[in-house]
Amino acid sequence: MALLEVKNLTVEFGSEDKPFRAVDSVSYSVDRGEVLGIVGESGSGKSVSSLAIMGLIDFPGRVTADSLTFDGQDLLTMAPSKRRAITGKDIAMIFQDPMSALNPCFTVEAQIMEALKVHEGGSKKQRRERTLDLINQVGIPDPKSRMTAYPHQLSGGMSQRVVIAMAIACQPRLLIADEPTTALDVTIQAQIIDLLLKLQEDSDMGLLLITHDLALVSEAANRIQVMYAGQLFESGPADSIFTAPRHPYTQALLEALPERSVGRDRLSTIPGVVPGQYDRPKGCLLAPRCRYANDHCVASQPEVTDFNGRDVRCFYPLDDQGLPTGQTNSQNVGETV
Amino acid sequence: MLGFFMRRLGDVIPTFFGVTILVFLMIHLIPSDPIQMMAGERGVDPERYAELQKEYGFDQPLVVQYFNYLGGVLQGDLGKSFVTKRPVIEEFATLFPATIELSVMGILFAVIIGLPLGVIAAIYRGKWLDHLTMSVSLTGYSMPIFWWALLLIMFFSTTLGWTPVSGRLSVFYYIEPTTGFMLIDTLMSDEKGAFISALSHLILPTIALGTIPMAVIARMTRSSMLEVLGEEYIRVARAKGLSPMRVIMVHALRNALIPVITVIGLQVGVLFAGAILTETIFSWPGIGKWIVEALNRRDYPTIQGGILMIAFVVMGVNLLVDLMYGVINPRIRYKR
Repeated sequence: MALLEVKNLTVEFGSEDKPFRAVDSVSYSVDRGEVLGIVGESGSGKSVSSLAIMGLIDFPGRVTADSLTFDGQDLLTMAPSKRRAITGKDIAMIFQDPMSALNPCFTVEAQIMEALKVHEGGSKKQRRERTLDLINQVGIPDPKSRMTAYPHQLSGGMSQRVVIAMAIACQPRLLIADEPTTALDVTIQAQIIDLLLKLQEDSDMGLLLITHDLALVSEAANRIQVMYAGQLFESGPADSIFTAPRHPYTQALLEALPERSVGRDRLSTIPGVVPGQYDRPKGCLLAPRCRYANDHCVASQPEVTDFNGRDVRCFYPLDDQGLPTGQTNSQNVGETV
Repeated sequence: MLGFFMRRLGDVIPTFFGVTILVFLMIHLIPSDPIQMMAGERGVDPERYAELQKEYGFDQPLVVQYFNYLGGVLQGDLGKSFVTKRPVIEEFATLFPATIELSVMGILFAVIIGLPLGVIAAIYRGKWLDHLTMSVSLTGYSMPIFWWALLLIMFFSTTLGWTPVSGRLSVFYYIEPTTGFMLIDTLMSDEKGAFISALSHLILPTIALGTIPMAVIARMTRSSMLEVLGEEYIRVARAKGLSPMRVIMVHALRNALIPVITVIGLQVGVLFAGAILTETIFSWPGIGKWIVEALNRRDYPTIQGGILMIAFVVMGVNLLVDLMYGVINPRIRYKR
């Protein structure tokens, strides 16, 4: 049994009769010691789905799922106090912007010790020692003096290390990292990812790595899940997704990587933006931006199907040559509609 | 922290001089001169006039007069009342405890009621509880003090007979003033029931005086809380698995308090303005009532001294507020 099982997770906002689905029937699972990468553009529902797992979606957001289990326990029907006992202890989360993730009024030490106090108890002395260990573990130089520092005295990279220390304080079994490096500069990004992967390996944690950095996820993740406008578009093992994308969106994302445009005048782009609440297409959500879209794509929505051992939401999954299967030329309506 | 304190203290000094200049000029800005004023309708003959001018130093140049005045102020000499001929500072000292007692109770009332109201309104934003607390506070804020005080007296004192109408203590008791604070003096005395009497005399003036600051604090707390509750670190705190109560009381409230404390400091000024009305209505023997009487008698040294002392107190409280920021918010403490 997987550590985290998500089946048909849906998160809705807005009125009951005309809801906006930020996350639309997404399923995945994360095992012990596994790194699952979730990629997608901004607005594709990556963060919202992770917040739903943490139980941090507030009214008026509504979370529904066929099942949402952690280690066999159903998170959705659990009493709030019981769920809080798991949140922060067994499932922990790292957020995007470390500079705003720390409370400006409390010292580093106080904020790390708080999680320990709530979940593990123990004496103040023990907690302080453990905090010192943690600060050491996440590679903060001069840990003793940093313990009493306030967040505004730390750099972005240091803050993210503190946030990570806070998250791993209670030795979680699942760590959700929501774009942990987006707000950091490039040299620090690599350090933080290395740190996360090392921690993950050492403690055999499950790691849910949410990012829009394909290069990063290709190195780090075992499996990859591509999301778009709240829907799952493609999922499968990391290496095969990169060599042979089955979904036109994945293919377009990979082509947009600068290293794939070497020798060309312009970088490849995907025209348009992710549809929002008011401009949702009726058919396939990608149809207006997909180069292979035809009338069928515009008219009706594809379901997730199994294609060569890969989950793909497309009527015409791509073959090994990167060309759509099952499509006749006459149906093709060109690049964009 | 000491450096922070000294810097804040330095900021107060120019304000101090500004206030003394304004108060000093007041007596020279009124139409007719102070000696004529003192003499009143009877008038004064030129010889006596010159004598008095010399006695009060009005024959000197304005700048010299100011420095004489300033020198007096710095030594605690605010001049003598035209009416009672007693030193202003003495009268102030005997009456001030009554005002402090009332103001402290007023601000306590405002904070104890206003802060939780604001927090509750923020937590239940958009629900009926939010609308209720905010309407109550808007009503409180819009109510003129004299009208509100009279309503309170009519309902609680006259109709229900629960509280006394005016004064600080029932006539059945006599308490020798030691600290000047009736609550403390009655507690220390042997008179049974005196403390209860003093307390019951305080209830209505406290409510009348504290209502406006309470409303302001409630509204400020609400908006500040709402802002903080949207911050990322609140989400992080919840992701740690903390209880909603702890998230709100520890992580949100402390950050939300920073602007609220500013407002509380500013309300102290409002409180003194309110005390003038409240004390007059409830016959509360404090400096508010004293200044109103001085105004009616055109007792300039008393008015000057009273205003100056109130200004000092307001400045002192705001200095204290500035220092409290440093305690609450580390970002301010360490800023150079």
